[in-house]
Amino acid sequence: MKLYRKEGNIVQILSFPNETVEKGDYLLVEDAEAGRALIVQVIDVQFASIPGVLEELLRNLADGGELIQGEDIDPLEIAPHITYLQDASLLICKIRATLENDNLSPSSSWLPSRSRSTIKKLSLPTLLKLARTDGKLPIVLGGTKDSSLLTIDASSLDGRLNIITGKKETGKSHLSKLLMVNLVSYKATVVVFDLNGEYVSLGMTADGKRTAQHDKIHVLTPSQNFKVALRQLNLHILLGILIHALHLPGTSAREFRRIWQALKERDNLTLHELGETIRNWICNQHVRDALFSRYHALLNSGFFTDNVAEATLLEECLLKAKEEGSAIIINLRNTSAIDRQIVVEYVLGKLVESLTSWKLKAVFLFAEEAHLYLRETYWDDIVTRMRHFGIFTTFITNQPDTIRENIYRQADNIFLFNFTNEHDLDVVSRAARVDAETVRSIARDLPPHYCLALGKVVRDFPVVAKVKALDVKTMGETRLFFKDTN
Amino acid sequence: MDTVLPQQFIEQSLCSLKHVQNQSFQLNQQSFQQINNFDESMQALRLKLEPIYLRPLRKENVVAAVDTSTIKIGETSQGMIIAVRGANVWKQNRNYRYTRLGPFIFHITEENKKEVYNALEKAYFYSASEHAHQGAPSFLQMPTRIASLLERWIQTMLSRTINNGLVLFDGSLTSGTSETPIERMKEILRTARKRGNIIMAFSKMTNLRVNGHLITELLPEKTPPYLLETEGLKLKPPMVLLGDVYVARLTKGNCAFRLDVDKEVPFEMRIEAVERLLWNDLFMQSYPETLRLAHILCTFTANEVLAMQRFITRKCGLQIINRPDMHRLLFGPFGRGESYS
Repeated sequence: MKLYRKEGNIVQILSFPNETVEKGDYLLVEDAEAGRALIVQVIDVQFASIPGVLEELLRNLADGGELIQGEDIDPLEIAPHITYLQDASLLICKIRATLENDNLSPSSSWLPSRSRSTIKKLSLPTLLKLARTDGKLPIVLGGTKDSSLLTIDASSLDGRLNIITGKKETGKSHLSKLLMVNLVSYKATVVVFDLNGEYVSLGMTADGKRTAQHDKIHVLTPSQNFKVALRQLNLHILLGILIHALHLPGTSAREFRRIWQALKERDNLTLHELGETIRNWICNQHVRDALFSRYHALLNSGFFTDNVAEATLLEECLLKAKEEGSAIIINLRNTSAIDRQIVVEYVLGKLVESLTSWKLKAVFLFAEEAHLYLRETYWDDIVTRMRHFGIFTTFITNQPDTIRENIYRQADNIFLFNFTNEHDLDVVSRAARVDAETVRSIARDLPPHYCLALGKVVRDFPVVAKVKALDVKTMGETRLFFKDTN
Repeated sequence: MDTVLPQQFIEQSLCSLKHVQNQSFQLNQQSFQQINNFDESMQALRLKLEPIYLRPLRKENVVAAVDTSTIKIGETSQGMIIAVRGANVWKQNRNYRYTRLGPFIFHITEENKKEVYNALEKAYFYSASEHAHQGAPSFLQMPTRIASLLERWIQTMLSRTINNGLVLFDGSLTSGTSETPIERMKEILRTARKRGNIIMAFSKMTNLRVNGHLITELLPEKTPPYLLETEGLKLKPPMVLLGDVYVARLTKGNCAFRLDVDKEVPFEMRIEAVERLLWNDLFMQSYPETLRLAHILCTFTANEVLAMQRFITRKCGLQIINRPDMHRLLFGPFGRGESYS
């Protein structure tokens, strides 16, 4: 390989057919005399612009577009040299760091010698060792192309905002399960908003046996084993539900506050009493109607109960999680859009409450297709306010444009699966921790189950890995009409 | 097929390269055009402006064409390294096929030029002795002379192997020059005639003029295809013209070429041969496709030159150097004239 040119932080390297380099590979451009080396990553492989190639291709097609048939008597065997040059490639590489005395710096301000520099492939284990991505809490994400393991440190997810995105059926949920299971094994508290019931069997192996984490996986299905008693509720959580999930106007919310306080003073916080009090409350008829309609929405959700014994599961789970770590799966499958929002408002409110009172240290929140249940104002909350409470969110989506641009800008880690759509790639490339060229070039060619890890988990060295297989029971499969036929 | 000459080409090529081990090597690419710059007397040359109209004659014949090319690919401290390649294209049953010979790479020095050239000459003329004692060409003529040798050999092989075909040469049928001895060309034409072949030579460039105008530009406003006959062309001895010279305008457009047809072939047969060619080959801008392909296939592309340079540096351990360009050094941007523009 030979250094050809450098423009900005893009380096072009000439590579010959016997040197197998692919997109995503890392190269070390070493200038021994300068005592420094550039670490570059191949983001595109092109044909080298060799003079005369076009003439040669045209010459072979001289017979009206058909290959002209003939015999070449080439006694000196020059033809292999011709094909060798024809197949030379130009590697478009992005400078990732400068290596000097075993220390990495993000600088790309120096120019290695074109004539003296040696270029060699940098294996991922060596790179990750240099980047010091290993730690005390390793999570093996999967295998890299050079048969090494990509291991990240769980602490690089701690306090971070993460995004897992890619096309349908590329392995996003699989990766999030992998992260969850590993976080739980390190005694972390994980809460999952499971939209399609994909995570409910996380504690079971594919053949139906219990996994090592089985007892740490708690599945809460709203209105079944997950209910809330009014008595347990804080007013501000319920108001949050009424205002944000059920869109209760401000005037009506004020009246509700009064009703709530009156009931609380009488120690009579039951669903029946709440309904009766609204009915008999002296107020504007429109306000009463508004309150009544919300009351019925709460009632019909089946999520609320007067039986306190029925409504202790979340508390218990959080308590267990604090001690030994666990994953609390909020199964939102078969839950209507309104009820989903009620549940999410409640859970988030409850988490903030638990975190504020230090009942919990921190929570890793996994939110799949969050736009379907997260209210507008929560997006900013999650990346700013909630982070300080200790809610560290991982968004999982196959529609990257449903996540706001400011979330991308503040994302610390992105796990990117295959995308072919230009628009989707555009959206993801707005992330601050990655350059648009890398996203566009590498993500487009990722095979299923391969992910491009970007951000702090890989110390800003984008790495492609095949996500490790996980022996858990698959759920949330698409129901097929022709399944039996095929 | 007689393979003595290509064998000699390989041997001489390898032998010459043997003596070039571990030298420094200055890349310097330069194509050589095989232009026949004969001193043809044009004072008596006349062009009959009454065209001989042609009609494609529906008769299946093989059309075959030959061309060679040579290029200098670099210089060593002792000489230069050149490459030669020949191509033979033929059209049969509506398909074009080719055989390419080479590239043969030679290291030519003042010291070995005679040895290389005479060995090749001898291989070609192994049955004749007329030129065995002939001296080698000058150093600078060597590339074109070696290419000419290869070209004549392929032409000979074609005239010996094809029957009732139309054989197209690049250039003219002028002989008596050092690279085209009369006997050699006569022998090619004679062999061709014996097998019912007719040889026609198309010149891409000519310097034949009538009243100061190039004969290929004096085209009457008539509908092609047609030929214009010339007469009175005389050459200074020892050169002789073995063909009758025509201006051939074979398709619409303003392109026309000098066409030499074997003069031993009767006039009617000559015309008929061109008419058969019109039926059997494709024409673009009055030029036959078979000959065009032969030219294209033997020409060296830039990539091939790079590959040969790579081959030489690998095989002979040559070290590529960049000697300072004196023109550039002395005259800066004015040193190379238009090549800098």
